[in-house]
Amino acid sequence: MTTNVPVIDSHHGTPATGKPNFLNCSSGLMSWAGTLDHKRIGVMYLVGTMIAFLCGGLFALLVRLHLWEPHGMLFSNADYNQIFTLHGAFMVFLFVIPAIPGSLGNMVLPLMLGAKDVALPRLNLLSFYLWLTGAILATLAIVLGGFDTGWTFYAPYSLYTNKAVVTIGLAIFVLGFSSIFTGLNFIVTVHKLRAPGLTWFRMPLFVWALYATSLLQVLATPVLGITVLLVAFERLYHIGIFDPRLGGDPVLFEHFFWFYSHPAVYIMVLPAFGIISELVSVHSRKPLFGYKLIAFSSIAIAIISFLVWGHHMFTSGQSTYAMFAFSFLTFFVAIPTAIKEFSWVATVWKGSIALNSPMLYTIAFLIIFAIGGLTGVILGALNVDIHLHDTYFVVAHFHYVMMGSIALAFFAGLHHWWPKMFGVMYDETLAKIACGIIFVGFNLTFLPQFIMGSRGMPRRYATYVPDFEAYHRASTIGAMVLGSGVALMVFYLVASLLSGKKAMQNQWGGVTLDWHTPTPPPLENFDHPPSVTTEVYDYSTLDLRTTQTPVS
Amino acid sequence: MSAHTHDVHAGHAHGDLQMGHHHVSSSRMFANVLVALLILTAITVATSRFDFGSANMLIAMVIASVKASLVMAFFMHLKWDTAINKIVFLSSFLFLSLLFLFTLTDLATRRIDNSLHTTKAPVDKGWVQPAPHAGH
Amino acid sequence: MSHDGHHSVVIPAPGPEFLPHTVAHHFDTPVQEFQAAKLGFWLFLATEILLFGGLFAAYFYYHEAYPETFRLGGHQLDWKLGALNTSVLLLSSWTMAMGVRSAQTSQKKKLLVYCGLTVLGAAIFMVVKFFEYKAKYDHGLFVFPEMFHGYDTATGQLPWFKDYHGVMAGVPHGHLFFAIYVTMTAIHGLHVLIGAGLILWVMKGAAKGRFHAGYFLPVDLVGLYWHLVDLIWIFLFPLLYLVP
Repeated sequence: MTTNVPVIDSHHGTPATGKPNFLNCSSGLMSWAGTLDHKRIGVMYLVGTMIAFLCGGLFALLVRLHLWEPHGMLFSNADYNQIFTLHGAFMVFLFVIPAIPGSLGNMVLPLMLGAKDVALPRLNLLSFYLWLTGAILATLAIVLGGFDTGWTFYAPYSLYTNKAVVTIGLAIFVLGFSSIFTGLNFIVTVHKLRAPGLTWFRMPLFVWALYATSLLQVLATPVLGITVLLVAFERLYHIGIFDPRLGGDPVLFEHFFWFYSHPAVYIMVLPAFGIISELVSVHSRKPLFGYKLIAFSSIAIAIISFLVWGHHMFTSGQSTYAMFAFSFLTFFVAIPTAIKEFSWVATVWKGSIALNSPMLYTIAFLIIFAIGGLTGVILGALNVDIHLHDTYFVVAHFHYVMMGSIALAFFAGLHHWWPKMFGVMYDETLAKIACGIIFVGFNLTFLPQFIMGSRGMPRRYATYVPDFEAYHRASTIGAMVLGSGVALMVFYLVASLLSGKKAMQNQWGGVTLDWHTPTPPPLENFDHPPSVTTEVYDYSTLDLRTTQTPVS
Repeated sequence: MSAHTHDVHAGHAHGDLQMGHHHVSSSRMFANVLVALLILTAITVATSRFDFGSANMLIAMVIASVKASLVMAFFMHLKWDTAINKIVFLSSFLFLSLLFLFTLTDLATRRIDNSLHTTKAPVDKGWVQPAPHAGH
Repeated sequence: MSHDGHHSVVIPAPGPEFLPHTVAHHFDTPVQEFQAAKLGFWLFLATEILLFGGLFAAYFYYHEAYPETFRLGGHQLDWKLGALNTSVLLLSSWTMAMGVRSAQTSQKKKLLVYCGLTVLGAAIFMVVKFFEYKAKYDHGLFVFPEMFHGYDTATGQLPWFKDYHGVMAGVPHGHLFFAIYVTMTAIHGLHVLIGAGLILWVMKGAAKGRFHAGYFLPVDLVGLYWHLVDLIWIFLFPLLYLVP
């Protein structure tokens, strides 16, 4: 680890002397709309998924505001059903699943591999347009009467309600193929476009995580596709396979749905794990503790995730024998997940920690994910889940994972690669303040939900008994704090694009290949084809002083 | 790196610089596979004339799997394809089998649950049984 | 862009009737391009298997729940037409495999003939399918014009399932078999049509001389797609026509 062989044979840290980068090499709407460049597609995904996130967040704030009063403040019960469904569907299908692979993954994966682009650039652009089509269809579904089934579209209610279920089903089908094509593209890119010398065990862990994610996207998403198609057929011509009135079994719908949607939880969280793996190393200036363990644990999580979906169905009427097997298998997910958490903490341990905004988000993730993960183990226990099923305890648990872990890891990665992507730095002071506000607001929102959930507050209800008022009000105040933190973040990020100071060529002193291109990268990423001769995360070869030259 | 190569000499037509080493199968082999597939189709039909009880499904699926393997190995050239392509395609069947395994075990073991609760409904005790169709 | 053309690798045409192929700019070698596309396509085929797999899971689920319904339903299909269509698809799979072989050996005319025969197979398959669907319509087992009419939730009476001859009377939920039969074969039929369209597109390129020993990737991939269509039918035939 102490060799002085240059890590990479392309030079880094030299100012890019006015050479065109991917942002300014061409201009005009069509140069973006028809681009095959993975970085521009990544930027388009970033804008799209952030808009979806802000819409989903707005719906969340409306839900919380409504619950300020025990009898509900804003909506009729029917409208409330629509608002929480919109929140769930927008967040899951338009933000959490595509956000990290689509934006940061697209941007960084080819850079980390030393490739000129992803393997199938046209398919990549198609993925984005499928996402856009899905987003438009989802919005259209709101106009056509909305949907009030919850994001899970459980039969038989989804077959009987008179809302726009077919339209949103079509949206999810299209979004599914967007996700499949992104995953397919990344798998091919990792297999076929690694730079010379970049062996599998020299790949950055973000790449490993995206690879495991892609396997899930390819293997699980088609089943969601056929499931929403069958729901659409059921509504259109009543095939009867999910409809108990026609001899069908709604539990089969749940099997199909969770065969995808449980692995989908890991489609969402594995990229977040990957970001955290990168960031703990770079910002502690230490090689990762347990590199291979983290890499393999991603694959292990991907495989185990296919064996546990029935733990979402403990009160569905599934057979007790199946429930026993699913509950037993669920606990195995905790092992590779814990390996990751311990490895991250061990990496930070005695590191040279830089408390900049990406690292603050990372630390927030480590704390929140410990809670989110462990409450998941509690819910995996069959007998406990019977009590906690469909309560706010479950809501709090998966928000600690979805929002507190995944969204925060996304923000961490966004702050980390922002200077790389755009060549500008945001206001670090504001960034640290926003991170603090988000952390406090998040916990204030969801910690009370654990308590009221364990005391029997059911989820998805528009009203509640007055006993829970204090918890609900704390949660609503927390949501407002969280929302203002996110608003502040969006403000200073956008402001940095307009008037931010120049970033450094290698802002954080990273050693993976993504930091060995000019900042922002040129159209085909590398001035000279890179090749790798040393191990990953070897900071001994990097002289920080040479990297800290500003972007020209 | 051949990034600066301008042209590839025609003499390399079957070499590395082309599309890699490809197995060009003989026409005779393709014909043999076709005949085997047609014979197996006839066997499928023939066996369906007899009742082997609960083994019917197994027999039909085994024959279909043999046919599918022939198509995959020879017509789809998987036999000569790279290891990763084999793994990718075969793993789809592996993961599909998980879907079958758990959904069907759930259904099969639910019967045991139901018998413990002494109900006679075909799948689940909560099912609504519409009146059978009387015909016209 | 200044970098374009500069780095491109060109595979020359093996003869005057063929066209050269330029490797996409982000690949270093033709091998890399070929293998990347091939791996991507196998991944896509894996998603197709899982997509159809959901339908097969539904089939097995209800076959297990209502074995009598499925046995009786299978008897309403004409196994002779099913076997005919199976043979047609197997033959067309063979012509497609021979077509790919013709491309690999730079035999332009043969490639066009074999692709043409494959499209013919697809056409025969769809015509046979049409007559099968028509028989179902005639017997009221799937009344296509009334399929979108909704149903009487009190009686569970489906407008598309009339069963004029009462062949499914006496078994529970007789419509389930036909719903699954039509859904599976219609989605499969859609794949047949898409496959035929892709083969026609290959023929257009082949006529221009785009495909030869040096570059036959699109022919290979479309061939794989066609074999997948065959592969799925190999399982559909015994499950639907000869219900075990």
